[in-house]
Formats: sequence, C-alpha cells, structure tokens
Amino acid sequence: MITFQLNNRAVAFDLDPDTPLLWVVRDHFKLKGSKFGCGMGLCGACTMHVNGEALRTCTLPVSAVQGAAITTIEGLGTPNNMHPLQQAWVEHSVPQCGYCQSGQLMSASALLSKNPNPSDDEIHAAMDGNICRCGTYGKIKAAIKSSAAAMRSGALAESAVQSFDPANRGVES
Amino acid sequence: MNTRSLTRRRFLLTTGAVASGLIVGCSTSHAKSVGYAPVVGAFEPNSFIQITSDNQVIFYLPSSEMGQGILDGLSTLIAEELRVSPELIEVRHASLHEDYKNPEMKMQATGGSNATRAQFLPIRQAAADAAAAIRNAAAQQLNQPVDKLLLADGQVLADGQRYAYSEFVALAAALPVPENSPLRSPQQFDQIGRERPRLDALAKSTGTAIFGIDAEVENLYRAVVVRAPVVGAAVQRFDGTAALQQAGVVDVIELRHGVAVVADSYWRARKAAESIEVNWTQTELAGWSSDSLYQEFVETLNDASEKGLECCLEGEGDKLLDQAEHRVSADYFAPYLAHATMEPLNCTVEIDGDSCAVYVGTQSVQASAGAAVYYGDFDADKVKMHPAFLGGGFGRRGLGDDVAEAVEIARKTGRNIQVVWSREDDMRNDFYRPPALVRMQAGVSNQGIIETWSVRRVGPNIMDHVLDQWVDVLAPDYLNKGFVDWLSKFGYSVFKRFKADPSAGDGIYNDYDTPNKEVRHIPRDPGLRTGFWRAVGNSSNAFFKECFIDELAQRAGIDELAFRLANLQNNPRLKNATQLVAEKAGWGKPLAAGHFHGLAVHSSFGSAVAQIAEVSVEGDKIIVHRVTAAIDCGTVVNPGIVRDAVEGGIIYGLTTALYGEITLKEGVVEQSNFHNYPMLRMAETPAVDVHIVASQEHPEGVGEPGLPPLAPAVANAVFKATGQRLRHLPLRLS
Repeated sequence: MITFQLNNRAVAFDLDPDTPLLWVVRDHFKLKGSKFGCGMGLCGACTMHVNGEALRTCTLPVSAVQGAAITTIEGLGTPNNMHPLQQAWVEHSVPQCGYCQSGQLMSASALLSKNPNPSDDEIHAAMDGNICRCGTYGKIKAAIKSSAAAMRSGALAESAVQSFDPANRGVES
Repeated sequence: MNTRSLTRRRFLLTTGAVASGLIVGCSTSHAKSVGYAPVVGAFEPNSFIQITSDNQVIFYLPSSEMGQGILDGLSTLIAEELRVSPELIEVRHASLHEDYKNPEMKMQATGGSNATRAQFLPIRQAAADAAAAIRNAAAQQLNQPVDKLLLADGQVLADGQRYAYSEFVALAAALPVPENSPLRSPQQFDQIGRERPRLDALAKSTGTAIFGIDAEVENLYRAVVVRAPVVGAAVQRFDGTAALQQAGVVDVIELRHGVAVVADSYWRARKAAESIEVNWTQTELAGWSSDSLYQEFVETLNDASEKGLECCLEGEGDKLLDQAEHRVSADYFAPYLAHATMEPLNCTVEIDGDSCAVYVGTQSVQASAGAAVYYGDFDADKVKMHPAFLGGGFGRRGLGDDVAEAVEIARKTGRNIQVVWSREDDMRNDFYRPPALVRMQAGVSNQGIIETWSVRRVGPNIMDHVLDQWVDVLAPDYLNKGFVDWLSKFGYSVFKRFKADPSAGDGIYNDYDTPNKEVRHIPRDPGLRTGFWRAVGNSSNAFFKECFIDELAQRAGIDELAFRLANLQNNPRLKNATQLVAEKAGWGKPLAAGHFHGLAVHSSFGSAVAQIAEVSVEGDKIIVHRVTAAIDCGTVVNPGIVRDAVEGGIIYGLTTALYGEITLKEGVVEQSNFHNYPMLRMAETPAVDVHIVASQEHPEGVGEPGLPPLAPAVANAVFKATGQRLRHLPLRLS
C-alpha cells in the first residue's frame, strides 16, 4: 500500500508499485489534466510537482512517492480560481492544441516558486524538458515573464505600503 | 398582454441574466463531446445552433480543433451574425452527420487549411437565419414591427426594453426559419477581426480540456498492441501464454497487424506485452534500408527512359532551356518525416452488443466512424461518435487506423477498450511525409527574368497509401468488402501510371511568372506508407523552389529580393507580402556581426507568406535568431490566431529544417522517441514577428502556409553566412 498526498488529499494505491505515477493519477484517480507524451521523460507532458519539484511522472514509479505531496495541474488552480500563471496563459492566449500545456505550467510554476525573477537563461533551463509541437514557446516565455512581474509587483506594492505605514515605522520590510 | 405572460417574461429575463453570469469565462471550456442532442423547448434552426429556453446558445463545431483555432474562428462567425458574445457560446464537437461535411471536401474532415474558407459563408448564414428567426418571433410576440427590433448581446431590444433570446425560442421554433437572411457587411463586423484571447485557452490552461486520450467509460480495459517492427508485416505465430499469466491480464489476441494484450490497467498491459514473442511474416520492405534511397533516386532521375507523369506543362515546357543566357541546374533532396503529435494516437471504444461508441480525437469523424463500421463489423447506424480535442493533428489523425485496431480488439474481446499508442508505436507506425529528389533547372535572362522552369522529381506518392486507408473506411457500406479492397488498390495504379499525385507538384511551379514550365513526377515507392503531413507537398517543394530561386538570383547577379519581385508581376498578393516582410525585417540593412538574412516566399492553401530568417553559424551549428513573416490570408477572423498559426508553422518547420529525418534499416524505422527524433526546444526558438496584410478578400488558409517558407529562408541565410549551398534536408553543415 502506497500512500501520498494528491492535491492536498490523502490517497492510497495498492496495485503494482512499479506503475508510473502518471498512470496512477490519470487512470486510477481519474485526474486527466496530466498527459502522456513519450514514456521516457523526454517531453514533459506528464510533469507534476513532487514535494514542490517539477518531475516527469511517466517514468517515476508510484513507490517512489510514498509519503510525498503531489500537485497536478488540477491542484495548481481551477477555472474559477486560477494560479497567476494560468491567468497569464489565458491572457497571452498561449495554448494551441493545448496538450503539452499542463506540463508546461507545472514546470513554470515550480520555477517561479523558487525564482521570482528568472532570466531568459533560467527560464530556458527550467523549461528545457517540455516540448511543444505547436510552437508556443515564445508565448510561454512571455507569459512566465509577465506573471513573474505581476507577482513581484504585487509583493513590492505590499511591502511599499508597509514601509509607509506609521505603525511599522522603523521596521525592515 | 396578460399578467401571467409578463411575469413569465420577467422570470426569463432574470434567469437569462443569471445564466449568462454563471457561464462567463468557462462556457466553451470543455467543448463537450455529446454529439447533437435535441434539447426540450429549445429553438433548433439547423444542425449547428440551439438556443435553449434558459438562454444558452449551443454551437455544434463541425471541424476538428487540433490547435489551429477553428473552435475560436467558427464560434466568432456564429457570434458575429447571431449577435451574442463569443464567450457565452457553449461549443460542442459535432458528431457524425451529413450536415457537418466540409463543403469543399464533401466529407466530414478537417485538413488542407480550408475550414475557415469553406465555412465562412455557410456558418454565418446559419447564424444569420437563426437571428432573423428570433427577430421575427419577437416581433410577433411583442406585437412590434420587425424593423424596430435590434439584436445585441443575446438580447432583443424593443422600445427601450431588453429581452433575452430565450423568451422567443418557443415561438421561433413554431415559425418557419428564414433563409438567405442578409449577412453583416465587413464595415459592421465587431467580432470578426477582433483580437481577444482564444476561447479554448482557459480549458487548455487548467487541465480541463478533454482530449481523446482522456475518455473514461465504465468497465474500461486497456490494450497494448505488439506491432511488427516492419510496418505491414503480419503475425505468423505468437506465444501469449506467459503474458496471460501476469496479474490483471485478461486477453491476448491476434490482430490483422499485431497482437493485443488486454489488462485492467495500462501499465499491466504494457508489462505483459514485453513477454510476448511474435514471428512476423516477411515483407518486401524488410529487405530495404534508406541509406540506398538517395542513390536509387539519382539513378531514376538519370534514366532518360523514365518520362514521369506530368504535373504541369505550359508554353514550350523545358524545350528552350538551352537557349537561355543563364542555364542553372541543381538537385535537391528531402527525407521521410514523422508527424510526432504531442498526443500519441489513441482510441477508446465502448461496446454494447451490436453497437459501439467511439471516443477519439480525429481529423475526420467520418473516416473514424467508417473504420468502426468496416473493421469492427458494426452497422453504420450502430456507431456513435464522440469526438474530442486533438493533441495535435498535422495530417496524422484522420486515416482511421487508430480506430480500426481499437474496434477490432473490442469486437474480438467483447470488452470496452482503450488503446494508447506508445511514442515508439506512434513514431514507427506513421504515415510519413514522403521523401523526394528533385532536379531543378531554369533558364534565366541577363535581366533576371525566368524564361523556363523545369522540375523532374522522383519519390513516393501519398494518394496510394491514403486511398488504401480511405476507400475502406469511406466507401458506402452497401458495397461488399471485396469490391472495396479492389477499389482501394486501384488507387495505386491510377497514380502510378496515369495521373501525377497532386501533392507531387504542390507549389513547385505556381508562384513565379514564367512562360515555359514543365514539371514531371516519377513515382518510386520503397513501400513505407506515406500520408498528409503539415502543408503536404508544399512542405518540401517550397524548400526546393525557394533555395533554387536564390541560386538563380545569385547566378544572374541580382539581389534576391529584387529578383523575386521582378518575377512576381502576376502574383500581387505574394509580391505585396514579400515587400512587406522586406520592409519589416530591414532587408539589405546592416545586421549584428555574423548575422545574415535569408528570404523565402511561398503561396499555399490560398495564402501568400513571405519570411526572412536572421541566422548565424557557430562551427557546424545553425542558430536562427529571428524570423519575420508577412501573410496575406484574406479576411482575418482573429488576428492573434493567425499570428500563432504562422509562428507555429515556423517552429514546426524549424524542427524539420534542423533535425527532421526518418530513416529505415532493413525495413525498421530507426527513430523511436524524442531522443533520436529531436524537437526544437525553447532555448533554440527564435523571436518571431508576424505581420498581417490588411484585406477584405475571402478568408484563406492559415494552419499550414506558415511552414513552407521557413526551411528555405534558413538555408538561404546559411549560404550567405558560409557560402555552403545546403540542398538536402535536414540542413547539415560540413
């Protein structure tokens, strides 16, 4: 019996422990947002967060995630409560066929959670494992940058307010 | 008007508003795949539109959405004429029906970049007639003259009051639906031409868009097919004993082309499949390797007794070649290519006695349904289609082979079956873009005018293989199978002996004004199956043509842009796009040190596209920094989608130009996955600027025309950078 957190929900899986996490999530727990693309960890369509790290789950046996916290695209945000990156994806009209985009978003969100102001090279490195056949790379990059900027300016605005708040005078922000 | 109806009207106004509020932003998100389903109390003027009594507008999308944006495009046309916000339309993938046939292709299919062109008027007419019907019903119900009523935002405006369409659906359903209602003029367009995020972006950014692979039905078993290493071989014998003993495995059965392992999970089926040993029949292809392809083609071209089939003959043909001031000749080559859609092929079949439901992302609902009928031996009226979003199409999804094997397994096991192809299955069992060797010859005057244009090409046809698939699945089911098989093989002889495959000549002679043209095609086919691949013949012919044009300009000592413009006098759209791209990219102006421009222009699928690639070379590595493109595709429905499609064609084309090559060793496709059939990734992606020529002409294609000019634009820049004229794809510096 393998137990783990799937989008903040405790779940258990008791079939073949060598089953890749992707198929457990898609076919056993019926979350279909994560996609199968290559089965060799080469295309990134299956990317999920495992304890916050973006990993390819088509080659990751479910036994390796015992006790781990797994986040899929369904856990990143919902149509009514989107993650800022998902909002940017919609505003930039990123997807074409859309099949790779769950994986792209999971790689991008893992990047921004660690690096709120990534350079082009850092974006390229973080997104290198995700293939898009429709050619949306340019828009993905633009959406990551605008989302990062929006998240940063949100944080900066907040800290700016705090620094001008008399109650916080003298407090490092 | 009595109190009761007034109350009812207020009630409807309220519910209409509330329903709209709830739907904002996610109405089209899932693009439900339910097929046309009558809705009680709804107004159903035609097969495309329903307006329900709770004010929901439902649109049945007749074309396949594979990324090209047709969901957005056709929904926009509905919104324009029906006067509703496109975001409020619920889009459903249309199931199989005569009414959803593409008017140009006369079949229910999506391809050839014609979905907007072919449906621009009929879809608008369907919506305009529905709007007129609502207006007529409102006039009668409100007792107002019809010309006093305005339609806007899904509401009828009368005497300063607003009424939801739903208020009039009951009466509209009882009245005759008007025909040939006037369409809005381009000056009135407020949806067509407007830039806004595409309607399916939200679903595709939240993991809620349903693709074929996402189908789930009760009691679903998963099948993995052990396929012949050489496509076309059949099972001689196999041993499935070990596989049957593995946990979860319920069936191991022989198919026409392999062995299926059926289990209670995908992973168990895949693991068990590894234990199966199969002896395969020998085929001719098994004795053939592609390293001999080029030499075989050269020998064919050099054999003067091979006259080939005529693709084009104008003026004196190639007779005057020797009289030209400059006679130029060069051989060009392009290899086999795989499609590599991100979503590997898959199909899910739910079987219930003598009927079945098919869940699949397909470029042809009709061919897919036909495959279920033919290979599953179902009556046509017992097959229900559930189309879904396609995780890429590019010409691969629509031949019915994915459905054929899934229905065969479901029929033989009596179980509900999902087959998901591995990436290896997908790459090694494709219908490949055919290779070609082409001898380009031209006679050019000292003034740089092309006087004679001659092309002699050799390579496999497409139609032989496509017809073999399609005749089986599209033939009316009253024809007996023996006759259908004969008919599908007949295609071979037609295109081998009598008529050149249309794709052979695609775009290789039409663009430039040349009085004398001759294009001949010699069909030679090692036997690997071929098919439609994004831009079809144009995908390689533009490379041959546009690199050769640069060679001609250089031989005549004329700037490559000026040379093209001088020879495009009768092609104003392409000439105009060429001038626009030159201006936008700054042709002839200084670039960063070590950077060079290459130009290529090409008309395909009704649109004219010009591209300039900015390239540098480091060692043997080709780096593409920026691609500037101009497209004239007539009226634009959503400019963002046009730019995306052109950029998408450029990126798809750059993967091909730099890496794309499928090779065979003793009949086995050597490439299997993305490590040995690499794709362009983000770091190698150039900046792309797409400029759209303003036009009120009828809309033309955008899904494919962005691809053909890319490879020659890059190759022409590489020549400027290195002096090496690369005449083979993929581009490799020596």
